[in-house]
Amino acid sequence: MFYIYVFDRPPMKKPAPRPTALFLTCASLLIGCSQTNTPQTSTNTASPGTSPTPTATPQAAGAGNSTAIPVGVGVAQTSNVALLGQEQVAGAKIAEKYFNDKGGVDGTPIRLVFQDTGGDEQGAINAFNTLINQDKVVGIVGPTLSQQAFGADPIADRAKVPVLAPSNTAKGIPQIGDYVARVSAPVAVVAPNAVKAALKQNPNIKKVAVFFAQNDAFSKSETETFQKTVKEMGLELATVQKFLTTDTDFQSQATNAINVKPDLIIISGLAADGGNLIKQLRELGYKGVIIGGNGLNTSNVFTVCKALCDGVLIAQAYSPEYQNEINKAFRDAYRAQFKKEPPQFSAQAFTGVQVFVESLKAINAQSKVSEKPLPELRTKLNEQLLTGKYDTPLGEISFTPEGEINQKDFYVAQIKMDADGVNGKFEFLK
Amino acid sequence: MDLTLFLQQFLNGLSIGSVYAIFALGYTLVFSILGIINFAHGAVFTLGAYFTYALMGGAFGFNGLLANARIPVQLPFAVALILGSTLAGLVGVMVERVAFLPLRRRNSDPLLTVVSSLGAAVAIANIIQYLVGAEIYTFPANTYGNLPAAINFGTADQQIPIRTVQIVIFVVAVAIVSLLTYLINFTKFGKAMQAVAEDATTSSLLGIDTDRYIVLTFFVSSFLAGLAGSLVGSSVSIAGPYFGIAFGLKGLAVIVLGGLGSIPGAVLGGFMIGLVEAFVPGDFSAYKDAVAFAILFVMLLVRPQGLFGRRLIEKV
Repeated sequence: MFYIYVFDRPPMKKPAPRPTALFLTCASLLIGCSQTNTPQTSTNTASPGTSPTPTATPQAAGAGNSTAIPVGVGVAQTSNVALLGQEQVAGAKIAEKYFNDKGGVDGTPIRLVFQDTGGDEQGAINAFNTLINQDKVVGIVGPTLSQQAFGADPIADRAKVPVLAPSNTAKGIPQIGDYVARVSAPVAVVAPNAVKAALKQNPNIKKVAVFFAQNDAFSKSETETFQKTVKEMGLELATVQKFLTTDTDFQSQATNAINVKPDLIIISGLAADGGNLIKQLRELGYKGVIIGGNGLNTSNVFTVCKALCDGVLIAQAYSPEYQNEINKAFRDAYRAQFKKEPPQFSAQAFTGVQVFVESLKAINAQSKVSEKPLPELRTKLNEQLLTGKYDTPLGEISFTPEGEINQKDFYVAQIKMDADGVNGKFEFLK
Repeated sequence: MDLTLFLQQFLNGLSIGSVYAIFALGYTLVFSILGIINFAHGAVFTLGAYFTYALMGGAFGFNGLLANARIPVQLPFAVALILGSTLAGLVGVMVERVAFLPLRRRNSDPLLTVVSSLGAAVAIANIIQYLVGAEIYTFPANTYGNLPAAINFGTADQQIPIRTVQIVIFVVAVAIVSLLTYLINFTKFGKAMQAVAEDATTSSLLGIDTDRYIVLTFFVSSFLAGLAGSLVGSSVSIAGPYFGIAFGLKGLAVIVLGGLGSIPGAVLGGFMIGLVEAFVPGDFSAYKDAVAFAILFVMLLVRPQGLFGRRLIEKV
């Protein structure tokens, strides 16, 4: 029998630890390790909600360019959410350059201060604390996930720092506090459009299978909307399969769903897991219509399911083809840099920065931004951004007094992959 | 549960279980020699997938230092798999030299080595992200040549589809286990390795170069991690630099269930965890990890040494 066993001997002169104790130690360390996969870019010892120095002004605040106005961007640059966060970083950086090239806030440039939130709530809380207390930003664009927003936004709200959520589409985000608003349309508005588009393509759809990522607040919220829509449209909800955003193998769930012979499958998850699920469903022979939720609304999904992404329907809050001046500028800049169409998450991050810049300009027109103490400027900025109207890459937007976005245009796109299955695009349906 | 569904989930369980088994084999080899878990094993698993992908001519995205870089060769999958796993094996050797050897020379507490390997794991994952970004990479569509995407068993009415790649993984797992069995039981290398595992000091006195065998064990262990990573990557995609973390945890569960240090235990544990996961009802499928670890917990209470483990013997 092949066997190697070593409990009863000392490894390298040192006594071997008891296996149970060793395992528990190792497991807890590994769990700790997985959490440290979301490294913080700075340390912060201030307690949550600590107010900054009352006399600080935005120009005096933070390090680096002392004349620039610091605007925080706290999104996921690491972890399994980094795919989305990196799109947001790209969008925000394009906005920074675009508005500074146009003179910033009446001649004063803005300076984006990035803090990595990683993919969990603790990472977002740490990043927000650092942005508020150490970087002394006037406002924050972030975080990436709704789940993180429920953890980090209350901290900004207590510190009276305005937050613009670039991709938090779950229910209840603007209700977190007076200082929380979002430029990302809620799923309740966007998701039903995709089901309608699927029925338009195939009126014979009767049976629906739903998949959702159980460990993601946004996906849970989105699936509730999808399931409600399915029932309201008189369709049969044949099975609900759950998974985790960290899953890669979906063979069991996919075969469970295929066994009920659905005409439509709706997936709420993120690009990596959702793309893999699509790939495995198609490889296992599912030929019906697939709808992907907002988490799959990124060209990163193309690299996961490649040719098998073809035909997937995705409801969108942004179209690269939207015709206005600022979207053209944003699209051109993005295409020049990345050689592909800008994704929704980049457009929403751009919009978040734009709203801050235009609100700062409006405040500056009344009295000099540079002369306002930081706490006063933050409060004024929050009041101002909720009252303005903005012509953005998402189209014309404004906010309700609660901070919910008013957006006019929504879209449904269908993924069209090239013959080689490498590149693809979102083709917008009429 | 009808027979069709039972067979379906049984095959699903075997396929994922075989990946856990290959992965856990590497874990258990290092534990056998040093009595320590190598936490960098999951990171090497990830790295193996990237190596194989790159050797097949895969290009990297636009977020890392190697943006749009591409190795100017396009090796067939089988060749890239062996080379990629070999490179992973060499990284494993480097991890041993950097994270294990210095502490071993100082007779440090085993816990320090565990922490050191954790550090190596985090460093490798972050280096990957720095070099190639957090993007997802999928193996080319022709990775498995002209094989169909899935094979259907069962009748026309009650089909049992299983993805061809899963069958390939299962076959490779069986081949690897057989090869490793031969290597350990019937070769000089294997016998020397067993001697080092049994008592490194005495082995050294008998003329066995223990340091060399530790390095070789790390190589084989990391080769297996790279192989498992490449196979999973070809089955699903390389889901970013932290891809191996979940497998690392699952691998721990597998080797504890099977019995720390036991190779048949690692194989059986892998298949058991895979099968248990597959039979978790669909509505609770997000809890399959919890079910797997609950079984592990019960096992620790009932039989702490695992299925194939021996009780701890206190030498006097």
